[in-house]
Amino acid sequence: MIKLVDLHKSFDGLKVLDGINLEIKKGEITVIIGGSGCGKSVLLKHIIGLIRPDSGHVFVDDIDITELKEKDLDKIRRRFGMLFQSAALFDSMTVGENVGFPLAEHTDLSKREIAEIVAGKLADVGLSGIEDKYPAELSGGMKKRVGLARAIAMDPEIILFDEPTTGLDPIMTTVIDELILDIQRRLHLTCVANSHDIQSTFKIANKIGMLYKGKIVEEGDPEVFRNSRNPIVQGFLKGIPEDQIIES
Amino acid sequence: MITMRKFFFAVGHKTLSAINQMGAMTIMLISAFSWAFIPPLRIRNVFKQMEFVGVKSIFIVSLTGLFTGGVLAFQGYYGFRKFGGESLLGATVALSMTRELGPVLTALMVTARAGSAIAAELGTMRVTEQIDALAVMAINPVKYLVVPRIIAGILVLPVLTVIADFIGIVGGYMVGVGLLKINPGIFIAKMIDLVELSDIFNGLFKSVCFGLLLTLIGCYKGYHATGGAEGVGRAITEAVVISSISILVGDYILTSLLF
Repeated sequence: MIKLVDLHKSFDGLKVLDGINLEIKKGEITVIIGGSGCGKSVLLKHIIGLIRPDSGHVFVDDIDITELKEKDLDKIRRRFGMLFQSAALFDSMTVGENVGFPLAEHTDLSKREIAEIVAGKLADVGLSGIEDKYPAELSGGMKKRVGLARAIAMDPEIILFDEPTTGLDPIMTTVIDELILDIQRRLHLTCVANSHDIQSTFKIANKIGMLYKGKIVEEGDPEVFRNSRNPIVQGFLKGIPEDQIIES
Repeated sequence: MITMRKFFFAVGHKTLSAINQMGAMTIMLISAFSWAFIPPLRIRNVFKQMEFVGVKSIFIVSLTGLFTGGVLAFQGYYGFRKFGGESLLGATVALSMTRELGPVLTALMVTARAGSAIAAELGTMRVTEQIDALAVMAINPVKYLVVPRIIAGILVLPVLTVIADFIGIVGGYMVGVGLLKINPGIFIAKMIDLVELSDIFNGLFKSVCFGLLLTLIGCYKGYHATGGAEGVGRAITEAVVISSISILVGDYILTSLLF
C-alpha cells in the first residue's frame, strides 16, 4: 500500500535518511524503531508529504506523492489520519471542536451531525462527555486519546502514529497500545507507528523496521527481531549503548 | 587578515540570509494572495483577526495619537512663536499627523501589540506541530492562518490610522487652544485651509502598506519558528525588530515617492 524507495534526506548537510527502502502492507501495523533523533519522525513525515525528500520516492497505492502538487497531495492526505507526538491539539478550540474540525472543514454535515460523530469518536477512545473541555485541562494520556479521536474522525484508511506512547506512564501506555490494536482491527486500518518503546512495539506490530544511521538495518515480524543476530538490533532491544555494542 | 576575512564572511552570511528571507517572504505573500481568492473564504476568521488586530488596538493607538498631537502642539508653538507664526499650529499638527505620524506610529504600536502576538501564536503552533496537523488534515496552513491575518492587517490599519489622526488633532487642539491660548477659529480655519484630501489619502495608503508588512513579517517569523520556547521567543523579537525597521524604511521610500 505504501512503498518507500531509495529515500534520501539531509538537513544542513546532516544526512538523516540515507536510502530508505520499505514496504508497508495494507491492514497491518508497521512500527519503525530506532534511537532518539535517528530520523523516525522525519521518515513518518515523508509518508504524508509534510517533508519532501532530497531524492527517492514515496508511493501510496502506486501514486508517487513526492511528485504531487500541494492540492493533489491534499486529496491523498484525506485518506490519512495522524497522531502527533505532542497530540498537536489546537489550544484555542475545545475537545469537541478539535475532533470535529476536519469534519467541519471537509464535509457538509450539520453541527448536530458533527456533534454526534464527535461523541462517537470520543467514545471509541474512552473519553465520552469531555467535548467542552480545552486541551490545557487534559492530561498527557487524554490529549493523545483526543488526538487519536481527531485522527479517526474522517474514517481514514491509514493512520500514522508519531511516538504514541512517549511520555506516558505504563498504565496509559497499555491503554494506548490496546486502543491502537482495537481501532486497527475494528476499522481495518493500515497503521504506521514509530517508537523506541520495545515492549509496546512487540505488542502491537505486525512488522518492524529498525532505522539506524539513516538506513533500515533490519525488517521483519517481531519474531525476526527477537531472533536477529544483528548486533545493532540486539543492542537496541537490550538497551546497550552504541559504543559498547561491539565490545559486548 | 583572519579578522578581516571573518568580518567579510559574517557580512556576506548576513546579507545572503536577509536576501533569502526576503525571497521566502515574497513567496509566502504570493501564496497567500493566490489562496485568498479560493473558496472557502473563511470570512469569520478574517473578522476574528480584525477584532484582534484592530478593535483591541484602538485604545493604545488613541493614547499614542493623543499625546503625539499634544507634544506636536507644544513643540510647534515653541518654533512658531519665534517668528509670530502661531496661527499655523493647527495646520502643522494636522499635516504631521495625517502625512507621517498617524500612519507610522499606529503601525509601530500595532506591531508591538499584534505583530508580536501573531508571531507568538503561529510560532507556538509550529513548535507544537499544530501547523503540521492542519496540513495533515488537508487544510492549507497558509490559507487558514496567514491569509486572514494579512487581510485583517490591510483592512484595519487605515481605520486605526484615521482614529490616530483624529485624536492626534484633538490632542493638538487641547494643548494649542486650551493651554497655549491660540484662537480656536484660527486653529481650525488654517487646518482646513492647508490640509488637502491627498495628504490624508496618501497617509492611508502608507498605512495599508504597513498593515501588509507587519502582518506578513509576524506570520513569516512565527510560521518558520524552530527550537521550542526559545525559538518562539526569537521569532517574536525578530518579527518586532524587522517589522519596525521595515515600517521606517518603507515610510521613507513611500514618502519620497508619494509627496
